[in-house]
Amino acid sequence: MKKLLHSRNTGLIVVLILLLVMARILTPNMFSVQAIINMLQNNSVYALLAVGEMVVILTSGIDISIASLLAFVGIVTTSLSCANPGIPGVTWFILAIVLGALCGALNGALVGYLHMVPMICTLGTMYIFRGLAFAVSGGQWWFAASYLDSYRVFAIAKILGIPAIVWIAVIVMVLVGLFLGYTAPGRRIYAIGTSRESSAVAGIKEPTVTFYAYIICGALAGLAGMLYTANYAGGYYGMAEGFEMTAIAICVLGGVSINGGKGRIDGVAIGVLIMCVITNFISMIPGMSVWQKALQGAIIIVAVIINYFTERTAEKRALKERGALI
Amino acid sequence: MPGSNYDRDLSVKEGFVLSKFLVKWEMILVYILILLNLVLLIFKPELFFQAGTIQTIINSGFDSSPLVLGMVFILLLGDIDVSVAAQIVLGGMVTGLMMNAGIPSIICVLAGILTCVLCGAFNGFCVAYFKMPAVITTISTSMLFRGIAEIVLGENSLKNFPAWYNKIGWYNIGGIIPLSMVLFLIMGAILIFVLHKSPFGRKVYIVGNNPTCATYSGISVFRVKMGCFMLMGFMAGIGSIFFIGRMGGGISSSMATGYEMTAIATAVLGGVSTSGGKGKMFGPMIATFIMSFLIFVLGLLGVDPNTKKIFIGIILILTILVSTVNKQMIKDIKLRLLYHNNKNIEAVNDRTAELVKKNKNEIKKLQKAGGKDAEIKKLQAEIEAAQKECKEKSAQFWADQQADEKKAKERFAK
Repeated sequence: MKKLLHSRNTGLIVVLILLLVMARILTPNMFSVQAIINMLQNNSVYALLAVGEMVVILTSGIDISIASLLAFVGIVTTSLSCANPGIPGVTWFILAIVLGALCGALNGALVGYLHMVPMICTLGTMYIFRGLAFAVSGGQWWFAASYLDSYRVFAIAKILGIPAIVWIAVIVMVLVGLFLGYTAPGRRIYAIGTSRESSAVAGIKEPTVTFYAYIICGALAGLAGMLYTANYAGGYYGMAEGFEMTAIAICVLGGVSINGGKGRIDGVAIGVLIMCVITNFISMIPGMSVWQKALQGAIIIVAVIINYFTERTAEKRALKERGALI
Repeated sequence: MPGSNYDRDLSVKEGFVLSKFLVKWEMILVYILILLNLVLLIFKPELFFQAGTIQTIINSGFDSSPLVLGMVFILLLGDIDVSVAAQIVLGGMVTGLMMNAGIPSIICVLAGILTCVLCGAFNGFCVAYFKMPAVITTISTSMLFRGIAEIVLGENSLKNFPAWYNKIGWYNIGGIIPLSMVLFLIMGAILIFVLHKSPFGRKVYIVGNNPTCATYSGISVFRVKMGCFMLMGFMAGIGSIFFIGRMGGGISSSMATGYEMTAIATAVLGGVSTSGGKGKMFGPMIATFIMSFLIFVLGLLGVDPNTKKIFIGIILILTILVSTVNKQMIKDIKLRLLYHNNKNIEAVNDRTAELVKKNKNEIKKLQKAGGKDAEIKKLQAEIEAAQKECKEKSAQFWADQQADEKKAKERFAK
């Protein structure tokens, strides 16, 4: 019980419930099952991006190229699928993951093997991917009419009344959660995030682990790119600008330490929910739609400051316990 | 106080060596700038000599120049500030709203700058007092600042700005020298003095290199960080004047997106390390010129504005790779290719190389001084012996390693 009270996720869930209650009072007619399903459908892309970002942040890196990567992969799959209607849709699903992984491998090689600073390296690749997205699209915009049903089915097909994109996001979360928590490579990611030196001494190949972490992030961002275009049935080279910031914000909100080595998938899941409640329900209140961005920013700052205080009290408690032992 | 500790001469006297000066990062940037000019000269000679081309190039790239100057300080601390573009919008908004209210223009401008300084102070307080990571702080404050601008402005844009704003973006003094460049150089000169000649600048370097060490040497890390972030805010306020002037005197809440990344990219191109404590003011100043020339030249060569991003990205990555990583990289590659991943072989080779270098230098000295042949011969013999020993040892280590691997294989095969 005490453990539950001190857990960070308890606080997050309380915040989430408060937000939902607020939304229930302020927008009573919007609070339907369909609205919630729509909300989840439209925010699943953030979930995919945030999970990928989390894997990278756990290695004490950061990836700000994911939004551009999303746009690039989305444009490639869109343009190819529109040009070749005969090829089954699964091809594009797989192509998106592979292409994303390749782009992630570029980041991973630069950061892992060539020891570049992650922020700057991904800043550079952010420019590159966005430019490639334009080069591939040639400035063309795609609208709902040009999208094939076999392509869109991955996002909008309903299984048990819930769109496929939500299922995919949930499956990815569970898989990545199991991978990070219960497999050796997953634990290695935590290890190099906590301390590079000691993990190197322990025999972990730090460059290789970093490399694969970025590949996971890239693959998820690529998948998100295909699903994003499929979900909205629209795409152009400038889409999803600024999503990387939202993904990072979700991670921080969910308790992933930006210094690496700390953070769990359940926190990120609750972070996604909080973020999508803020963006969706608050924007439905008349006159409040302009408040979205400011509220998001303020909530993250408050979350990080609360983090600071909880960490400090935890440290003090740990010190006291140690003192009692001595 | 003669005789006390304060009497020591602490200034570092580095002689001027031409060969070292020519391969400095700042000089390499100058070469790149000249190269860009040559490209322009060769491909568009008629444009290059036309009056006004160079001025247009410089004017076009200088709307983010004050941000670069401020960003150098932040990066030297080892922090990063991605909220500057939002600060520009917020500062511009305050100025515009006050102008609409009919308040004298000078007060409006000062209020706009003050807003940005306060924004910077808020960032600085979060980073320095709460010890929040700068990336997260500034991402969220950029959302916050831009969100406030969105709340106040909505879809509207402000168009009522002092008339001299436009001159900063477009006017050339005497038709030749761009006003924005002159202002940029003046600001740069002041900040060079602050960073390289004042106590505050030295403190910035120390805090950037090692905050713990700085704390124990009696430097208030909190104050230095606050100072830098407020300076960044001030420069963002100036930047809003530049930006609005360049945009023709109008601002809305969705403008200036991506300017923070341009500023960071320019500062990094100028040789400032993002891990803090490394870099100079001159580099980013030259890099600002390079960026504006690069974008313009690519545009003239028919590369469209979005494809330019690929070039900027590649150049950014290449410069970082070349400037900061090459030593470590070469070591890694050597270890992998030449030394069979064996650190013992690496160590032996390194030691021998050092000895050979030292002896060769001594031989040179002796030859210059007209020393005895016997001594030179002795040194040469030493070199040969060392090299021979090194080869033997390396072979020995390599053989050992192979034998070990064989043994391990045999053991696991059973």
